[in-house]
Amino acid sequence: MTRTPSFVSWRAAILHRADDNIERLKRQLERLGVTVLVQWKPLELAETPADIVLVDADQGWDDLLPWDGDDAPVPMVALLGSEAPGRIAWALAKGAGAIMAKPVIASSVYPALVLATHAHHERTAVQARIAGLEERLRLRPIVYDAMRSIMAAQGTDEAGAYRILCHLAMQRRLIVEHVAAAIVAGHEPVPRAM
Amino acid sequence: MASPRLMEHEMRVGPLFFEVRVKTFRVGILYSTTGPYGAIGRDCRAGAEFAIEELEKAGSPVRIELVFGDPAGQPERYLDLIRTMLRDEGCRNVIGTITSLSRKDVIPLVEKYDGLLWYICPYEGFEANENVIYTGACPNQHLIPLFDYMLPRHGKRVYLAGANYVWGWEMNRLARELLLRAGGAVLGERYLPIEETDVGLLITDLERHRPDFILNNMVGPSSYAFLAAVKRLAERDPAFAPERCPVLSCDLTECELGEIEPGVAIGQLSTASYFESLASFENRAFKQRVAARFGAERRVSSFFAGAYAAVKLCAEAVSEADRDDPASVRGFLHARPRQTVLGALAIDPRTNHAALPFHLGRINERAGFDIIASHGAIAADPYLVGTLPIQHAPHLRVVQ
Repeated sequence: MTRTPSFVSWRAAILHRADDNIERLKRQLERLGVTVLVQWKPLELAETPADIVLVDADQGWDDLLPWDGDDAPVPMVALLGSEAPGRIAWALAKGAGAIMAKPVIASSVYPALVLATHAHHERTAVQARIAGLEERLRLRPIVYDAMRSIMAAQGTDEAGAYRILCHLAMQRRLIVEHVAAAIVAGHEPVPRAM
Repeated sequence: MASPRLMEHEMRVGPLFFEVRVKTFRVGILYSTTGPYGAIGRDCRAGAEFAIEELEKAGSPVRIELVFGDPAGQPERYLDLIRTMLRDEGCRNVIGTITSLSRKDVIPLVEKYDGLLWYICPYEGFEANENVIYTGACPNQHLIPLFDYMLPRHGKRVYLAGANYVWGWEMNRLARELLLRAGGAVLGERYLPIEETDVGLLITDLERHRPDFILNNMVGPSSYAFLAAVKRLAERDPAFAPERCPVLSCDLTECELGEIEPGVAIGQLSTASYFESLASFENRAFKQRVAARFGAERRVSSFFAGAYAAVKLCAEAVSEADRDDPASVRGFLHARPRQTVLGALAIDPRTNHAALPFHLGRINERAGFDIIASHGAIAADPYLVGTLPIQHAPHLRVVQ
């Protein structure tokens, strides 16, 4: 870890009934420079924006958080006293990247924020990568169509046509699939030999 | 939970008997006075005992009784001893632990019995617990001002040596971050167990990398052996003399200089929030009292002074509140700065950390430190929430 994780000026939403335990958690978060909202009703991010959510996984219900795990828009920490597998599963299904055991101890707060944030970034990065790969997979037939056009125009083989396509993509600073789509759609002339 | 043990004392005044009820509060003193970092523990314990001697001489509305525990540097013994203090001996306040490993180990028990741990040693930060009072410096009070002073003067190519546990790891991680932010470079990084005295590979590595300075976060015998080996290296190669490539520590104090081979550490640097050589009125008076009690040769370190200040503060808090529960003691400490031998000590209610001055000392021939740079009290920022640390480093005043 090169940079010290910092949560200064972050907004945290704690979805939990207010009690001494939550008051202690709130104070510890404030020591980290975090502004804290405590409520025990469904979260509306549009009304009360939050950079991280800490939720009571013992009592939480589905509508408390208006998303499923894969779509969690912010890092999530589950506050958990129960060891019941069903409650752990609920926390995971809602996208929790870290668990803080109840009663909350001070030393668990900063590590949980770091872990949850890391897990969230990792998940969103993986999702973006998968979306990119799916898009490329979807465009594979178009790449093949463009290669056939190049093969016909240049009298080259598949390997040669692919090399020409890659070269053009590099020149245009686009991915191969997008250049191929432009060729097939007629927005880009069929390239000549390199 | 055990309640504080109350004792009734009979005082005989003249020919009459008065029954005077003097409440006794017990305070745990948990330091390893033997083992690899025993020199530090012995100074902490001596400081605590000296404070009690003075309190008893001065008379007090309450009596403080110290309960000693010596874990002898064995991590598992800290747990047994502090449990006994908190559960069986009626201590609500415990002054103690030196390594972060042991502090982290005992905190759950301190929380469980709702006690208050007084931690007086410099540490690596990233902690703020409502059951702990921190009067030792964290990195924005030692490492960051140290780098602010050193980087412009000695260069930014640094070698990092550390003890193989959280203090060494985290101090060096932060040092790396500070150096990268400042456009510097980490030339090498090595860790040794506290008791390891074979520092040959470390010296070979230094010779190869030739840094501008060395950050030494080793503890105990490994650190002492390293300082001796650097001296030998400097004799062979003047590029490693302290004035050209100093070894910097953030926790080396007067009490350990006697553990190091005589003379080898002269010229090397260390940071502290207290040095014996401080010229303040309080410190001069303090040293006179120490000399009167222990003799003129007695060295005073930040550990001795820190434990002394902690016992005195604890006694004042308990006297004022007539209670020793953490909430009352914290209330006393948070209310306003309290005069101590370390200066006026303000404990931040948000973090329970003391604002502390920064001093940079150079080891002299008299087993003490000449102060070469100082900064007034710096509010503790244990989680470094003050954004980019190096840009917020305090400005130092060169005093020599």
